[in-house]
Amino acid sequence: MNGSRLLFVDDEEGFLELYRAAFSRDGYTVETTATIEGARDRVAQGGVDLVVLDIRLGEASGLALLREIKAKDSRLPVVLSTAYARYQDDFSSWLADAYIVKSSDLNELKQAVRRCLGKAR
Amino acid sequence: MSASRGSPAQRERGARPERTRHLRERGPALRSIRPRRVLDLLRRVSEVLETVVDPEVAAWSVLVAYTAGEGLGFNRAFLLLADGDQLRGWFGVGPLTRDEAREVWAEMRQHGVLPLERLAEPDPRAVEAEQRRNAAVLVSLTHAAERGCGAWRRAFIGRSNHPNPCVRHWVSVLDSRELVVVPLMASGRPWGVVLADNFVTHAPIYHATLEAAETLAHYLRAALERTQLLRRFQEERRRRLVAEHATALLETARTLAHDLKNPLALAGGLARELMAASPASRETLLRQLGIAAAAISRAEQRVGELVDGLASRADGIAVEPVEVGALVDRVVEAFRTLASSRGVRLVCYHPARPLMASAVVRSLERCLENLVVNALEALRESGGEVHAAVREDGQWVRVEVADNGQPLPPALRPDPFAGGITTRRGGSGLGLASVRTLAEAMGAKVEYDEREPGWVRFTLFLRRWS
Repeated sequence: MNGSRLLFVDDEEGFLELYRAAFSRDGYTVETTATIEGARDRVAQGGVDLVVLDIRLGEASGLALLREIKAKDSRLPVVLSTAYARYQDDFSSWLADAYIVKSSDLNELKQAVRRCLGKAR
Repeated sequence: MSASRGSPAQRERGARPERTRHLRERGPALRSIRPRRVLDLLRRVSEVLETVVDPEVAAWSVLVAYTAGEGLGFNRAFLLLADGDQLRGWFGVGPLTRDEAREVWAEMRQHGVLPLERLAEPDPRAVEAEQRRNAAVLVSLTHAAERGCGAWRRAFIGRSNHPNPCVRHWVSVLDSRELVVVPLMASGRPWGVVLADNFVTHAPIYHATLEAAETLAHYLRAALERTQLLRRFQEERRRRLVAEHATALLETARTLAHDLKNPLALAGGLARELMAASPASRETLLRQLGIAAAAISRAEQRVGELVDGLASRADGIAVEPVEVGALVDRVVEAFRTLASSRGVRLVCYHPARPLMASAVVRSLERCLENLVVNALEALRESGGEVHAAVREDGQWVRVEVADNGQPLPPALRPDPFAGGITTRRGGSGLGLASVRTLAEAMGAKVEYDEREPGWVRFTLFLRRWS
């Protein structure tokens, strides 16, 4: 799974910096974008193995992008990473392969990424 | 309950010992009630009941009319209401014992107290005290509504040998020789019953009095149905507000969780990352530390904002900057025609420069409308002036609505915003209560004063927008 290409989508630059540092060190190829449009374009180009997606992206909704991605390629794993626990009850979020509540401990997110990549292969 | 004004109808006195005994006792029921007096009493009680919003006050008002010397003159009266299969004692007015009666009546005569005059401005504490005072008797009067009760149609006089067990029970509990029973029926079942007697004076009960008692009891029933409906409506409204507050609080908690979790997760995550592996360069280290520091600052700032805004958020209300002078101008202007038609001069003052306050436009408009209506009501009979003014006061923007109409009734003064008390001023009694509710929901407050002689002033204190 090392070498897999991960796309992180979060409107907060700080989190993207954190993801770059933490996941690069684990051997992943990390790409980041802060906007829905950026994510949509990057996924369309192909070559992304997994998307880590925030739900609140400014005024835009990560759940809408999740639906788009899954409509085009249901096999591309998407992990939702958000500070909101409540979206777990929203059926729109059930399309995701994993739902992680943001924490200072990235282990849960890392495990979810590994698990989803493993399944995808 | 009260002393007579001392104008006995001589022709009514007389023949039988029963008819003269009450003169020796000097109780209230001295004579058969005259038709004109009955009409006057009914009109008076009807006017009072029109504005009453509290079931206990309605019951007290009618039972006072039963027992006042200038009313029907009974020594005491009780209201029982149907509760399932029982007729439950609910309210009583009058002395508990013969000794107490003589003492109270003597005192009232000495001080010239006329109970009917208290009807216009009922004191809720006195009403509550009267209900408490009679509590034991009311419990004793409670009795299963027997089958025979369903046949009652008109008021009657019950005695100890009455065929209906309910009546015998009440006569026995009250140790009454002659007990007036006024049934209030609904679908062939008792809805309630008013009992009254002359247990001290043993004054005779005349047909005209019985008829008047019946009419008053029907007034009472209508007022009780209306006030109970109003109370249920208020209770429902209160429940809805509580539910809305709970929802708003939950939303606030969720927002709090998100707004704090996000920066704390970021700062903590970066700290862990730095501990796990040194960054490639000092520049990266400083950048990541900078991100973590900024995230912590953001969390601190958010906590401050949330604490400041918690009250308004908890009420589910989003305050916004409102230019108070323009809003007051607009509301006052809307009342100008009405004020002119009542001979009321409406004056509005505010500083030329805009004063911004934290408020909700619709809520603030409603508060002002209620206060202006309240002021206009106070001037309904007399005409006069209403002054609306906007002033700066440190961290507050003050909006004053003052009128030189009738002062607030004493019963309202301790807390004019409590609701449930009604007077001509204040209409249903709910207007001022809703002013406080709306004001507090905006993080504002409202006060009342009569510091300036002849003026009643309500002041809204709105938080200045900063």
